Amino acid sequence: MQRLGKAALTILGIVTTCIANTASAHHAFAAEFDREKPVSLRGRVTEMRWANPHAWIYIDVENDDGSVTNWALETRAANNLIRLGWRREDLPAGTELVVEAWQARNDTPTASIESVTFSDGRSLFVGSPDQPQP
Amino acid sequence: MRLVLSLISLFAAGSVAAQDVPRAASGRPDLQGIWQVVERAGYDLEAHAARHDMKAGLSVVDGGEIPYQPWAAAQKAENFASRATADPLASCYLPGVPRVMALDYPFQIFQTDDQVALTFEWQQVYRLIYVSDEPSPYAGVESWMGHSRGRWDGDVFVVDVTDQNDRTWLDSAGNFHSAAMQVTERFRLEDSDTLAYEATIDDPDVFTRPWTLRLTMKRQSHGDRLLEYQCQAEKEEANGAFERDERTWYPAPVPDDGVAFDADAGIDLPLPAAGEDVRRLADGTPDISGWYMADGGGANYGLEAHPGHELLPPSRGHVVDPADGTLPYRTWARAERIEREMPYRGYDDPTAHCFVAGLPRSHYVPAPFFVVQTPTHVVFLHERMAWRLIRLDGEFLPDTIRLWQGDSIGRWEGDSLVVESRNFNGKAWLNETGDVISHMETLVETYTPVSPTQVHYRATVTDPIPYTRPWTMEMPFNHMDDELLEVACLEDNNDLQHLKDVRDEHRASQNQGD
Repeated sequence: MQRLGKAALTILGIVTTCIANTASAHHAFAAEFDREKPVSLRGRVTEMRWANPHAWIYIDVENDDGSVTNWALETRAANNLIRLGWRREDLPAGTELVVEAWQARNDTPTASIESVTFSDGRSLFVGSPDQPQP
Repeated sequence: MRLVLSLISLFAAGSVAAQDVPRAASGRPDLQGIWQVVERAGYDLEAHAARHDMKAGLSVVDGGEIPYQPWAAAQKAENFASRATADPLASCYLPGVPRVMALDYPFQIFQTDDQVALTFEWQQVYRLIYVSDEPSPYAGVESWMGHSRGRWDGDVFVVDVTDQNDRTWLDSAGNFHSAAMQVTERFRLEDSDTLAYEATIDDPDVFTRPWTLRLTMKRQSHGDRLLEYQCQAEKEEANGAFERDERTWYPAPVPDDGVAFDADAGIDLPLPAAGEDVRRLADGTPDISGWYMADGGGANYGLEAHPGHELLPPSRGHVVDPADGTLPYRTWARAERIEREMPYRGYDDPTAHCFVAGLPRSHYVPAPFFVVQTPTHVVFLHERMAWRLIRLDGEFLPDTIRLWQGDSIGRWEGDSLVVESRNFNGKAWLNETGDVISHMETLVETYTPVSPTQVHYRATVTDPIPYTRPWTMEMPFNHMDDELLEVACLEDNNDLQHLKDVRDEHRASQNQGD
């Protein structure tokens, strides 16, 4: 699919900034990712790394010029997701995702996930961030 | 006659051996103590001559050779050729089982009826073996060290290890396995100082048949506690990636700023009473064992109460002395604490490098922890792969031995576990925000069970380098029936390079300005 236009980005940026204060903010986040750089992405999962302290979802995103960029998207600790009941088989390669995220300060195709949904609107990885939930 | 004598001597040998081994109150053999492998199997499980950084050794494999499938034998040869860089241990990654048992470092066993914990000096790795017939609630979730379930077969402790990933090796010589590997271990005390260990490896994707390796562990009598070998931290200090802080690392002096440290300042804080229905051991001692998660309330983002802002999530505040909830910082340390909020300082947080969190931060990293409690020790196993040992008897280490987790000696006072700690190295931060601590930190903690599901935690920090007087924080720990997962932080750390980029960019801009 493709990245949304600049206007849409700005609007999403305003909306998501309001949500962000209660979401995945923390010092390492602030050091690594930039609140001035919200991104909206739609693409297909190429890989998920069930890692700690942060799991990573990799998605292929088609750019406006037709080229494809593989984005690395940081999400919550794998152990949090596992305790919420999520398992590796719940997110197979090829799954289409819609992602709101904050891009890394170093401008690589790397971002911290603000929200992620399946293409039918169902939320992935529901629960409060950074709090292991048994 | 000869036959009868032989039978008598056999019988006698058997009964002597059975009586000779130390036993727990349950009657099971008592595996506890500090142990280290005798054989050179950590270098190569098979017979091998010495090589650079590799001691020679005989095979520990039944039959001498590992029964590889042809393709796997070729893969092993390739691993061997590239071992200097390809060996996961060269990157300080978690060793997996059985490799961790063969490392050339001591480990300590703690044993209760419900758990057997193995803590290793190497990288402060641990194994928590649940003595249970039930499968792990997280069966199917792969990890580097897998899930371990133990059971007693007479005097032999048998452990099934499942769900290990395919990223570990079996030794430094490139012997390897797949994620299909199932390991069955058998621990048997031969005498009070000898622990016979065997592991049967069943991996139909790599080998032609199951095979068994056998190791001998000898009891270590040099010292009564493990020290630390933080592989990655030592590496990064040696290569300059993690930089020394002359103000906090051992043996930094107390700063000469004209402000004397007021060691006597402080409020007299009574301990809460233990709840009437708290869990207790047979002898009446409170039982604080099991799984906990701190009710951290933002402690990892600051111990002083503050609302959130863009660079810093909120904290409810945890300081109870001084009464205003403010940490009694010296001027330099307050300035340092504020500067540590800046994005370019994110790289300096030791936990960003996956180093051990130190104390009291290990409790609220935030990640769960598991307490194993014996009559002689209370052991904290932190999900972010680090252990902390509290001896209930003994003497502190010599002053020159400095550790990330310090040296802790505890005692039961009424229904509270009181722990004193010192010998810190001063490399840790108190949280991501960078509340400051130094090697002169001494810590007095109390753990008081107030209900079957909650422990009241209090920590008094005395550290004259960043502070002008002692201070005290409190936090509840909530107990639940859960098991630990594994945080293999270093192994998948994608964040550190980004933090380094931000730091380096800042330094470059500073240099341009000069």
